[in-house]
Amino acid sequence: MSAALKWGAPALVVAACVGYLIYAASGGASEYYLTVSELRAHAPDGNVRVAGVVQDDVQKSDGGLHVTFTEKDATASMPVEYSGALPDIFKPGITVVAEGRLGSDGVFHARTLLAKCPSRFSTQPYTS
Amino acid sequence: MILGYIGAGALLAGLVLAGFSSLLSFWSGARDSATFAQVGRRAFYAAAAMVVLASALLEAALVTHDFSLAYVVEHTDLSTPIALVAAGFYGGQEGSLLYWTLILGVLGSASLLASARAGARLAAYAGGILAAILTFFLFVLSVVASPFDLLSVTPPDGLGLNPVLRDGGMLIHPPVVLAGFASFAIPFSFACAALLAGDAGVAWIKHTRRFALLAWGLQTSGLLLGMWWAYHVLGWGGYWGWDPVENVALMPWLATTAYLHSAQVQEKRGRMRAWNFGLVILAFLLVVFGTFIVRSGVVPSVHTFAISAIGPWFLAFLGLCLLFSVGLLALRAGAIATAPTHHPTEPVSREGAFVLQNLLLLGVVAVVLWGTVLPLVSGMLGTQRVVGAPYYERAAGPLLAAVLALMAIGPLLPWRRAGRPALRALRWPLVAAAITAIALALSGVTSIPALLAFPLATAAAATALTEFGRALLKNPQVILRRRRRYGAYLAHLGLVVAVVGIAASQLGQQVRAVTLQPGQQVTVAGYTLVFTGSESRTLADHTELVAGLRFGDQVLEPTRATYAGLGGQALTRVAITTTPFADVYVVLVGTNEDGSATFRIFINPLVTWIWAGGIVIILGVVLGNAGEGGPVAELARRRVPATLPA
Repeated sequence: MSAALKWGAPALVVAACVGYLIYAASGGASEYYLTVSELRAHAPDGNVRVAGVVQDDVQKSDGGLHVTFTEKDATASMPVEYSGALPDIFKPGITVVAEGRLGSDGVFHARTLLAKCPSRFSTQPYTS
Repeated sequence: MILGYIGAGALLAGLVLAGFSSLLSFWSGARDSATFAQVGRRAFYAAAAMVVLASALLEAALVTHDFSLAYVVEHTDLSTPIALVAAGFYGGQEGSLLYWTLILGVLGSASLLASARAGARLAAYAGGILAAILTFFLFVLSVVASPFDLLSVTPPDGLGLNPVLRDGGMLIHPPVVLAGFASFAIPFSFACAALLAGDAGVAWIKHTRRFALLAWGLQTSGLLLGMWWAYHVLGWGGYWGWDPVENVALMPWLATTAYLHSAQVQEKRGRMRAWNFGLVILAFLLVVFGTFIVRSGVVPSVHTFAISAIGPWFLAFLGLCLLFSVGLLALRAGAIATAPTHHPTEPVSREGAFVLQNLLLLGVVAVVLWGTVLPLVSGMLGTQRVVGAPYYERAAGPLLAAVLALMAIGPLLPWRRAGRPALRALRWPLVAAAITAIALALSGVTSIPALLAFPLATAAAATALTEFGRALLKNPQVILRRRRRYGAYLAHLGLVVAVVGIAASQLGQQVRAVTLQPGQQVTVAGYTLVFTGSESRTLADHTELVAGLRFGDQVLEPTRATYAGLGGQALTRVAITTTPFADVYVVLVGTNEDGSATFRIFINPLVTWIWAGGIVIILGVVLGNAGEGGPVAELARRRVPATLPA
């Protein structure tokens, strides 16, 4: 067996395995990342992530573990229902990304709720 | 005000000096002029001195609350503790760029000081490339994002620091991560310089070995400190979320890890030359790519990026680096290819283990890179798609398990080819893995990832420990004499300890949300907590809601702070207590009108192993970096290969 074959064949096998793992994992685990209007226009099957701004109608119950609110972008809005711990910076006016699915009741049932976390040192840029 | 003027002037002077240094160094490299190369290096030192001056001025402006500077206003206020005010230096966009530049200037100068010994032309070109990178950063700092911009009206106070960032982690995590990134510019510059000079030898590897190890140590510490910070502060019970910001810090670390191993093949056996050039270039390009991603906001992330004008500049810089380095590599590929030898190397050998480890680590890089850029790629083709943690776990998990197996096997294989004696040496790790697997199976563990991860980790630990044991039995001094080797085994051992912590906490985490009345108790995974009541405290700039939970003879106090001045932003303070087998991690979700309180309680097995493993890794890096005899002495000491050709 030539050296090229002895070294090249195992390397190709590893590369093929990596390719297969990426293909197989991203097929099953990827989700659409949409805005509220995109979801309203066409709701795909399965879990999606929807970005929008939290409106003023935040209702908390169950000691803060259950929350309902309206998520809105420039043109569309949807009610969101979520059970779990809220991010610290969650409040009306911030952008959140809700992961879950739109129910037949028209309510988005979120499984996770991500808030844009401030990695900036400042609270807002200074404007004089 | 005056600080701002001098600072901006220092940056401009540095820019001119760095540009001059770069041009002169390239010219002297092409003309092989030692004198002008020396002048070029001195211009680099002078540029670095200007960066040091500018950094000192920015720091002075911060700690003296000079609110005539926009940067000081945007990132600090009078009430912020002084240590965090000082940390504002690298906390914001412009300041963190200046910090990057500072590390590049200081470490770059250190790498150039004795560089002439590595070869005159190599040193001249390396100086030219380092100065070119410095020029880019100083240009961005002077023209696009200056930390010394002045405000027309000086306000009485600044805007302050987000409470999430008011934490000790802010003091240590960002500077270590950024230093780990910046320091990899040095191996990159010397690698490209070697390509330019047509020097395919190991001079560049030997000259930058300490810098590569330093960069790796800093990147490792940076990742672990980031995990530690997220775990203690964010209150979601975990430490790693596969967010793009984390991913772009992980990828250079993986590539650097691969390079530290493959560099040995070239040092010891003169092989994998082109591969090593490629790896160093890849690692640095990943650093620049990460900086671009983090500062441009092109992919969705839970982090809000400081979207600014510097994104396009970094994209251009990435493109230039890519064209320059990959073009150079392609141009020189023929000249640097390993000469054929009369002693062929078998795939089952130390070399083979290193090659496989490299391929697997690059496979993980590919997995992470694809997951990170998928939103970009899919967004261009239609609707944006994103992947979450399950993708990374499924795709990278098997590859990482294989790397763990190689950590058990690779160090026991001899160079060139492994004969029977070497394969016999594998019996101890094999026995260790078998015992662990049987013990796990007997105790009812059925999860496949657990049945793979723990036995493989035990095997890897057994390999490192047998090497230490053998040395201790024969001659303990050998550990100090051959520091590189035993430093590496120590780092392996630390990594295994951390891997056990990661596997245990990922696979064994238990979480429960519960609402308790005062006096009521709850038991999660055998850990019992009693709620004793909650109280409200009013402090200077925030109010705190503190709940008391009795756990054994300790009282845990998970807290929720609310900052009225920041639009009522809340801040969770997690209560964590460490028991021998798990962390009890309690988050206060809120209190109710009837006096009850709602908690999320996490039981995180062996999380402390991650931090302990990190400390062992750093000890290994220190041991391996503490210096050892030159490569000739190393060659002379090298053991006779286990199998000599007949």
